[in-house]
Amino acid sequence: MTETLTRPPVDAAPPPRQPTKRRRRAVAEEPGKPWMIRVPLVLYLLFTLIPFYWMLVFAVRPAGSTQLVPWPISLEHFDTVWNDIGFGIFFYNSVVMGLGVLVFVTILSVMGGYALARFKFRGQRVFLLAMLCSQFIPGAMMLIPLFVIFKGLGLLNSITGLIIAEVAFQLPLSLILMAGFIRNISVELEEAAMVDGCSRTRAFFAVVLPQLKPALVAVGSFAFIGAWNQFLFALMFATRQDKFTLPVGLSYTLGEFNTDFGALAAGGVVAAVPVVLVFAVVQRFLVQGLSAGAVKG
Amino acid sequence: MRKLLVAVAAAALALSACSSEGGAGSDGEVTITFWDNNGGPAREPIYKELITRFEAANPKIKVEYVGIPSASVQQKYDTAIAGGETPDVGGVTTSYLAHLVGQEALAPLDDRINGGPLKDKLLPSLVETVRQTAPDGKLYIVPSSANMDIVWYRTDWFQDAGLEAPKTWDEFISTATKLTDAGANKYGYTIRGGAGSVFQLITEAYAYSGVDNFFKDGQSTLGDPANAELVDKIADLYKKATPEADVNNSFTQMIAQFTGGSVAMMHHNLGSYSDVTKALGDKVAAMPLPVGPSGKRTVVPNPTDGFAVFRNSENQDAAWKFAEFLTSAESNSYWNEKVGQIPANTDVRSAAWIDSAAHVKMALGVLEDPATVLVPAPVYLPQYSSITKTDSEPQYQKVLLGELSAQQFLDDVAKKLTEAQKEWEDRK
Repeated sequence: MTETLTRPPVDAAPPPRQPTKRRRRAVAEEPGKPWMIRVPLVLYLLFTLIPFYWMLVFAVRPAGSTQLVPWPISLEHFDTVWNDIGFGIFFYNSVVMGLGVLVFVTILSVMGGYALARFKFRGQRVFLLAMLCSQFIPGAMMLIPLFVIFKGLGLLNSITGLIIAEVAFQLPLSLILMAGFIRNISVELEEAAMVDGCSRTRAFFAVVLPQLKPALVAVGSFAFIGAWNQFLFALMFATRQDKFTLPVGLSYTLGEFNTDFGALAAGGVVAAVPVVLVFAVVQRFLVQGLSAGAVKG
Repeated sequence: MRKLLVAVAAAALALSACSSEGGAGSDGEVTITFWDNNGGPAREPIYKELITRFEAANPKIKVEYVGIPSASVQQKYDTAIAGGETPDVGGVTTSYLAHLVGQEALAPLDDRINGGPLKDKLLPSLVETVRQTAPDGKLYIVPSSANMDIVWYRTDWFQDAGLEAPKTWDEFISTATKLTDAGANKYGYTIRGGAGSVFQLITEAYAYSGVDNFFKDGQSTLGDPANAELVDKIADLYKKATPEADVNNSFTQMIAQFTGGSVAMMHHNLGSYSDVTKALGDKVAAMPLPVGPSGKRTVVPNPTDGFAVFRNSENQDAAWKFAEFLTSAESNSYWNEKVGQIPANTDVRSAAWIDSAAHVKMALGVLEDPATVLVPAPVYLPQYSSITKTDSEPQYQKVLLGELSAQQFLDDVAKKLTEAQKEWEDRK
């Protein structure tokens, strides 16, 4: 069994050797050969993928099985986590929370970021500094004050409360990021639009927003994933099981004495798949977004 | 968006008028909240069944079950206490009982226990452990079950090798060595070297040394040379009769190795019963921790599980009714049979299932044996957990790797425990 597992890297190693001289010259005057890059990369890829593979194996093979390549695939663990443990509800809660945070963080950071980038106002530097400083406060320290406030507002045991808390924690960084993106969009374009008769609002929607697409995707997807993985607040603010989110649900499957690895792995797959999907869809924009304005033309 | 705005607005308006879910309804019906301190799919159905039975017997009381992941339960209680949102009844073990009592979160239960059917029905050793945990010696939880450290072993491996379950530590070590075949990825034993290691190591050390008190004249006995001898022996086994990865083993990895079939013996407690039997069926059995050269059996008891009624509860009577119901002979029997632990209600001892649950019977036998000496670890010390976990677990790893002597290691821990104990005595 182990042989079949270890073989792929051996098989995968030869192809890098094939490239001809021409190709090597194309990679400029880099010293060394392509395999010097590819072999470590393949190893690194295996290193990152093996835990995922392991999780998948545990999730789809029947309890007690020790197969390395599970066949036939059993979905019993998914049935357990989804129906018996309640991952169906946890998943729904997580989606609502993730989307809520995504929408609010994106809208608010665009609005705030635009103000920071385009207007001068009194106390701007202090405001930015305060934003930065807020990042130094760990969430755990805010836990009890927030708990007391939320209790007073009746926001415990509600996804709305979680969204508010998470947006508050994510907004400063997103705002600063967004302001940076907007600063890199030339003011001249906006001014030209306004000369042509656009109002500032219309200029924003017609000229700035389309160029912000990569930034929106970057900020939005990070907001979503941050919310998706939020554990501490979700755990502490929910005292009803129907308000648990996925990370809390996952830790719920870990008993002090009993751990159902199959269920845990299946839960892990349920929690990981949306994140993988989000990144698969947006990664093209993400790289654009993060490097936008890195080099000024 | 609109829903959120409405919620915020409504909440702001209702700032002063907090909702109180636990209050009595107009028809005299009350809802109480119950927190399971080790929530999870394994225990939830057991409690749900008991709650159904309770609600059938008490139609005016509704119980809302909340399972708390065991890893976060202490933090969850702390937050709830600070925020004034405690449940009515909660599962609490003696390992963090002192901490909760210190925050005056719990209601004392002495009068309630003595005034009802539970009077004289609870295992005296457990009641004593609970009393010792609170600074004022009162009962803040009604004990429900106890756990004991044992060694799970593979009966099939033992049979194939023609070996018997070891009775002394020397036999244990030679057995572990004999059962090891590193080439075939089979090892005689697995050491817990990661999270939770020192808790277990302490029980092993006292089982070996036979030292019968955790403190003598206010000084911790952990540094006793006989204790160090055992730690040396265990460290000697590392990599010879145990997998090399053991140095980082927490419970999860340890049990994965055992149930995965690469290890013959694993020191844990009765709590892992369902895991090991689910994976290995009747190929697994339990034995008590071996005894040392003194031949005396010394047991460091595990934290005792129980139910607490919270002081903040508006329905303390209903809350107690539920806690009492959970510890009644019938419920206590049902619960402990399912999780495979030692029932606190002495009426349960005659229950039929105890005869067929070999591991519980074995553990009860050890606890009932008049020759057994109980050496309670000072779990009541507020620093106990940090001393035995954060401070000493990395040091123990150094011992396993041969970078620190066992004696030096134990002396350091003993010194910290002595200081903590002195502080505790001074405050009493």
